[in-house]
Amino acid sequence: MKALASLVPLFRRRAGAMVLALLLALVTLAAGVALLGTSGWFITATALTSAGLAFNLFVPSSLVRGFSFVRILSRYGERLVGHDTTLKLLSDLRGWLFAALFPRVPLANRSIRHGDLVSRLTADVDALDTAFLVAIGPFLGAILIGAGVTAVLAWLLPGAAIIYGLAIAGAVLIVPVLLVALGRSAGRQVVAAAADARIAVYDAVAGHADLTLLGVLGTTSRRFSQAMQHLRGLRLTTAALTIGAGWLVQALAALALVGTLWAGVEAHAAGTPDPAVMVALVLAVLGSFEATAVIVRSVGKAASALAAAERLDALASLPLTIAEPATPRAFPLNAPIHFSDVSFGYTPDTDVLKAFSLTVAPGERIAIVGPSGGGKSTLLRLLLRLNTPQAGAISIGDTVIADIASADLHAQMSLLSQDSPVFIDTIRNNLLIARLDASDEELWQALDAAHLGDFVRAQPKGLDTPVGEAGRTLSTGQMRRLCLARTLVSKAPIILLDEPTDALDRATELAFFETLSEATRGRTVLMVTHAAIPPGTVDRVVALRNGRAD
Amino acid sequence: MTPEAKAAGKALSRLQKRGSRSLLLAMAAPLVGGGLLVWQAWTLADILGRAIEGGEAPQALLPAIGLVLALLITRAGLGALGEWFGAVGAETIKQDLRELLFSSLLSRSPRRGEMASSGAAVAAIVDQVEALDAYYARYLPAMAQAALLPLVFGAIILPLDWVAGLLFIVTAPLIPVFMALVGWGAQRATDRQAKALTRLSGRFGDRLRGLLTLKLFGRAEAETAGIVAASEALRQRTLNVLRIAFLSSAVLEFFAALGVAGVALYLGLTFIEFLNLRSSPLTLQLAVFLLLMAPEVYNPLRLLAAHYHDRAAAKAAIVEIERQLGELPTEAKVLHDIAPLPGDAIAVTLDGITLRTPDRQRLVLHDTSLDIAAGEHVALVGPSGQGKTTLLEAIIGLRQHEGRIALDGADLGDWPLESLRARSFLLTQKPRLIHASLADNIALARPGASRRDIEQAADLAQVTPFADAMADGLDTIIGEDGLGLSGGQAQRVVIARLFLRDAGLILLDEPTAHLDGALEAEIMTAIIGYARGRTLIVATHSAAVAGKLGKSWRIAGETLLPAPLPARKKGVA
Repeated sequence: MKALASLVPLFRRRAGAMVLALLLALVTLAAGVALLGTSGWFITATALTSAGLAFNLFVPSSLVRGFSFVRILSRYGERLVGHDTTLKLLSDLRGWLFAALFPRVPLANRSIRHGDLVSRLTADVDALDTAFLVAIGPFLGAILIGAGVTAVLAWLLPGAAIIYGLAIAGAVLIVPVLLVALGRSAGRQVVAAAADARIAVYDAVAGHADLTLLGVLGTTSRRFSQAMQHLRGLRLTTAALTIGAGWLVQALAALALVGTLWAGVEAHAAGTPDPAVMVALVLAVLGSFEATAVIVRSVGKAASALAAAERLDALASLPLTIAEPATPRAFPLNAPIHFSDVSFGYTPDTDVLKAFSLTVAPGERIAIVGPSGGGKSTLLRLLLRLNTPQAGAISIGDTVIADIASADLHAQMSLLSQDSPVFIDTIRNNLLIARLDASDEELWQALDAAHLGDFVRAQPKGLDTPVGEAGRTLSTGQMRRLCLARTLVSKAPIILLDEPTDALDRATELAFFETLSEATRGRTVLMVTHAAIPPGTVDRVVALRNGRAD
Repeated sequence: MTPEAKAAGKALSRLQKRGSRSLLLAMAAPLVGGGLLVWQAWTLADILGRAIEGGEAPQALLPAIGLVLALLITRAGLGALGEWFGAVGAETIKQDLRELLFSSLLSRSPRRGEMASSGAAVAAIVDQVEALDAYYARYLPAMAQAALLPLVFGAIILPLDWVAGLLFIVTAPLIPVFMALVGWGAQRATDRQAKALTRLSGRFGDRLRGLLTLKLFGRAEAETAGIVAASEALRQRTLNVLRIAFLSSAVLEFFAALGVAGVALYLGLTFIEFLNLRSSPLTLQLAVFLLLMAPEVYNPLRLLAAHYHDRAAAKAAIVEIERQLGELPTEAKVLHDIAPLPGDAIAVTLDGITLRTPDRQRLVLHDTSLDIAAGEHVALVGPSGQGKTTLLEAIIGLRQHEGRIALDGADLGDWPLESLRARSFLLTQKPRLIHASLADNIALARPGASRRDIEQAADLAQVTPFADAMADGLDTIIGEDGLGLSGGQAQRVVIARLFLRDAGLILLDEPTAHLDGALEAEIMTAIIGYARGRTLIVATHSAAVAGKLGKSWRIAGETLLPAPLPARKKGVA
């Protein structure tokens, strides 16, 4: 429930439409109850009347027609408004979640996997539509209609009011609460099992070649089958709970009906009420259980909605990667970068950097070399404030980077990381991510500097060539170069390159190093590499060994 | 109906057989319940009639009231039973279909063109298959009820009161006709919606993968807006589908209301003797019975209307699944593990082969021949993008080629796939690390490998030094795609797999990318030591790596040329 509470502001934005949908739902239900009641009253009254043709037909028959059509219209309206609101809510939720994710990447929780993330964004958000559309709405509707009919019974057939009131309270309040209580852990497990199934498919598609070559397709598909078997079992457990609860609600409805019938028959024998009213009440009671029939299925779904809400909430309340400064200071332009006695470890017991110090003058090109796993990439991450050093400080000029708004900090730097992705989009759009207003000419310059220009020129669609998932139409080297070109398109004064020539052969690598000074003229370059750098490529080579600059 | 939708309908009934027993019960239970409903309504009307018109004492009515209660509870039980079997049938079908799709996806060549993106594959196997649930669990039982119950009810009512009976029998079948008219465009709208859902899912996956890159380029707001826009587009499409569905059920409700109101009015007019269409006088019991049955005649149709778009959604899902993953397989492919097999080194012969890039746009090799003797160690050098990876993948049968590739003198095509996989190892570029422990990631090369073997492989690939620094050593869980490892560390984990394979033919694609010089040298020494008595082909652009191998070839001008070896240290095999 706490998790749902965190989503309340989103629901509040759509409160008007939700109230409207609820009102329409109530009108629908009330019209249904009234329709059956009036019809019952009408035929009984006509059966017993001695007035013959003088009987006032007009009022009851137009009431019957009126209730019918009100019901049709309000139901159509209710469904349309309800679904529209729900879908709007889903868009809101997706945007909210995305906006919540950005300041939290890289995610602190290592156990959240990519497949899991996608699952959270799509399935969990979808699961939440039931929270309003099929749970809260009909639930409130059933409570109000139940209370209304109980009040009418208390007035006209007091003997029936108690048994009806108890039965409907049981059906509307106790059964759903029981169902949620019992179904909650199963619901949570269903969501988790579905996420596992997703990850299994992700792992299989993304690692298809490796799995095939390693000859472990049997193990892979066996694991998938087990995951599916597990999911099936859990889903059937939830289904059994929902169906059982449904049966219970119907049994309660049966008791309410029979109780009302008995009270009616007894009251009739005693002379009150009017028999037409009695028939009307019995039929109205029958009609009122239309409201409860719906809620059971929705409450069953509410359990998974709750689980989904919990997972979304957990994701959105992960700690922020960094704390933004309260009063951010401007990024000092043309100022040196200082690493002063910086110490950092991803886990408390392993120090990657130990009292590392380095000053980079503006416009200076520096290569950082050293053993792999020695903290070279970490250095770049610290400079971008993706991680925070445990000791020491990083500053630009006199300003500590912790005092600079991270958006501002990132705008001044352009990173090529080892896992920079190629997006499913055109080459042009992949490049424009770095700078929306870059001209075609600038894009070509960047492509040429990354030695990809000739390849793109040879494509029939040029810059508009679509590149597939993980750039499947490109070779690994070409993907890498596209990412490099993207880094260069940015106008940021500081360029951070993490193994830029990783997927290049030596000749291309040398050519890249040759153009590097040209491509990054006037900009500061921090390049992590283990390639042999030809003299003149950079101004200075810093070797990182045992967490210190050699 | 489009041929696509027709084929999808056939696919749905084919799949239905997989859960047919449960589904049969799911359809039968509500039909029996419907039969009991007539009895229940009759008894209820009887009680009211006897109490009001007959003036009977409440005690005399007690048995009948008890019967109503029993009928109500039994009917609820039958309904629950039907739902349960519907759920069982649907779950069985979904599980079968998912396994079917998954195994057929895996059994295809991983380098087949036009593979579904992983986001789309997930959407198809997880989400689109889920869309079949409502069709089997709800639509089919609703369909059975709608087809039978109104007619049965009509037939029971007809001899009791011919006017009401006729009214029901005539109006009920008209309803589906009107609904079909309204629902005309539903299928197309549903198709469009399924496509939009797939696109949204693909976009999510793609953008999430690059979340950090987008953040660093200051694209957080723009991308968030983009996701909301895509989501809103999906809302529009969904709403279009729903509007039609709701309209068609409103039409149904309209007719049902006309029917109920008509019956009520007819009964009232008969009672006050305005209408005299009956031969016998109308009793209150019969009137209440007719009034109770009136909504029930239309109820099965309303139920069907509520689930009407489940069928369209299921068909659209089938079409979408086939669009992403190809035609639905009929039989599950049983996939087996292929255990590595020890044996001699394998000779590789390329005889006049022609190779193209994966997109088939460009020639990589044209009519090229090369012999690599068993046990020989060869480097493949040359600019990136020239097709080194394609050549390695062709040698191991992942890429189509013209000409002849032979392993140990036997054509690649004549090699049983089992023995080819069991005897060879290819280290791809950027292999995927799964979300599991380091040890499990290494053991992927040989499921069931002993702990000792895994540790030894970890030693050889220099995994042990960094694993030891981690809290759980080799049992440390690493994130998906090696999150938490540096590029070099991830590379060492996948290299460790080699040492569990015992392969006669070892192909390595850039094995030392991400590694610095010292580590590269150490690992290459381990690899070369291990590859003694095995054939080893390494695609690399590290001159140091090429220098450690016996021979070196480069791809240039669509052919393989011997590459001059850089100065070789003596004594390195």
